[in-house]
Amino acid sequence: MLHDHTTFVDYELPRLTPLAPNLVGASFFLMKLLPARFMLDQAERSGKLKPGGRICETTSGTFGLALAMLSAVRGYHLTLVSDNALDSTLQYRLCDLGAHLEIVERPGATGGFQQARLDRVNDYLAQYPDAFCPRQYENPDNPRAYASVAELITERLGNIDTLIGTVGSGGSMSGLARMLRLSNPDLKVIGIDTPASVVFGQKDGPRALRGLGNSLMPKNVDHCQFDEVHWVTAAEAYQATRELHRTHALFQGGTSGAAFMVARWWAAHKPEQKSVVIFPDEGNRYTSTIYNDTYLQAMEGWSDRLLEAPLTVTDPSCHIYRWSRHNWNRRSLGGEPHV
Amino acid sequence: MDGNREYTPNLLINRAVVPIGSVGAYKAGHGNATGHHGEIIQGAMRNQDRIIHRFLVTLPCNELYTQARFEPSLQLAGHIIVPDDKAKSRMAIEITLKYLNRSDFGGQLHLRSNIEKGFGMGSSTTDVVATIRAVADAFGRPLLPEIVAHLAVAAETASDAIMFEDNCVMFAQRRGVVLEYLGSGLPPLHVLSINTARDAPLDTVATPAARYSDWELQSFCALSGMIRRAIRTGDPYLLGRVATASATISQRHIPKPAFEEIQVIARANDACGVQVSHSGTVVGLLFNAFCPNLNVMVESASKDLSSIGMAPDFRFSTLHRRHEYAS
Repeated sequence: MLHDHTTFVDYELPRLTPLAPNLVGASFFLMKLLPARFMLDQAERSGKLKPGGRICETTSGTFGLALAMLSAVRGYHLTLVSDNALDSTLQYRLCDLGAHLEIVERPGATGGFQQARLDRVNDYLAQYPDAFCPRQYENPDNPRAYASVAELITERLGNIDTLIGTVGSGGSMSGLARMLRLSNPDLKVIGIDTPASVVFGQKDGPRALRGLGNSLMPKNVDHCQFDEVHWVTAAEAYQATRELHRTHALFQGGTSGAAFMVARWWAAHKPEQKSVVIFPDEGNRYTSTIYNDTYLQAMEGWSDRLLEAPLTVTDPSCHIYRWSRHNWNRRSLGGEPHV
Repeated sequence: MDGNREYTPNLLINRAVVPIGSVGAYKAGHGNATGHHGEIIQGAMRNQDRIIHRFLVTLPCNELYTQARFEPSLQLAGHIIVPDDKAKSRMAIEITLKYLNRSDFGGQLHLRSNIEKGFGMGSSTTDVVATIRAVADAFGRPLLPEIVAHLAVAAETASDAIMFEDNCVMFAQRRGVVLEYLGSGLPPLHVLSINTARDAPLDTVATPAARYSDWELQSFCALSGMIRRAIRTGDPYLLGRVATASATISQRHIPKPAFEEIQVIARANDACGVQVSHSGTVVGLLFNAFCPNLNVMVESASKDLSSIGMAPDFRFSTLHRRHEYAS
């Protein structure tokens, strides 16, 4: 066999970098490689995915890249449904890896582009009933995939007190939180979202910051795992991304910046707690945007100084325009907090 | 589902491994084996070949032991005399004689043990391991723990990792092989032993193997990182966290009575964690053996346990030799 499930093992696990005496950054090259690989492994094992079979998924981001890498190595026919948000650099890479791209031109009547893309996937699956759709937003193998990250963190750092990271599909944070809480039920979990994302109760709207948040509620978000939620704007995340690069030489993407901003604040205020912050992808995709001053200067809010601390909001559905935090208290969505 | 198959044992001894030097002197042989107090962790993981491997890390207990004496005899050729209820020891003798190329011998086995059956403290495996060692000793052929492990599993289907003594191993108890060598000793632990079902011993061998969910299989993978670090750094608190997590998962499969209450008592008395015999009835409160006020903590916990009808039976320590750890 050409591959086994360890082909990408050094690519799918994070590097650990100390950022402060009580804060460690876990930087991925491409975090989505881990759940994508695990979902394919499980589908192969259960027979849902046959050798040389078809895979179809909706994505405009790094999950598609991960599937394309795996499909190239494992010999699958991959169809990715996306929209114009797909940047050209990623598009070239996907094509080079042999993925077939379907671009949706118009948003759906409800649910925007995301719904229109899902509709297109369903059409494809009707045409090819044998095709496997990973469905990263609802596939329980997505959160389960993160066991190896929990293994790495605990083996290298022992017990940790706080886990901080961005929430998009919910896989990484919900999965890691559950795994780490087996050995530490008192673990604090801080999720980071962006304004106008529905994940933690904002009203759906256009979002400038990509790679976190969602306009549909992903089933893989286990709301009861989160103690605190922060919302970070694009300008803030990009500034923090550059600071992460300037001060720690970590060349990461925009979601990493958002996570870094929150983690730095938390670690400074909780010196007795050992925290780990998740940085989901590296910066190469963003050289013409986040790492380009000309591009940034045209951005709203770019010249504003970063806040030293977040604003506190009591209503997660309120209008958020700057970095804000909310005491989520491990409650289910719309439910009462767990005591 | 093909991918969910478990490992089928293909033991070393079933292959043509023939020891050299099959002729030699013999004498009455002696063998000892130390019992245990259940496991720090017991579960299953998918390995690189994506097959499910069951594994455990044993918590050895030097207070518990079995002694075996084997008198080999050419006159008894092929005839083996064992104490009444020791069918597994008979099997162990046959297998060991075969491994040593001495199947022309028979013999008589005497066993002495202070381990009660049915509580998950290794009564069966200590019988088998002490027997194997006694037979090997009779022919002057000391066996490596790895070989004893193979022979023991062949004799009793699943074995605890006691043949490795103080060496911590992640042991595949149904294959008789080490998945990972973790280190040369557990962190300094003091264990307060509770038998949660003294009146209801289990047939630990007949108890069906736990069927772990996909989520649980992944959880054991996550916990494996922490146990490596706990043993490498000699950290009893980290080890206690792993033990508590594994015990909690085990509640879904072979639940222990009053487990929640015992956990509350453990926390209230600053124990490192709670550990169980995953296929038995005993539960251990784990304390840092180097804690200056250890006795106060243990006595207070004993009192609390007695108040819920779970009075501890005995206490022991993993501290057989002097462990020195850098902080």
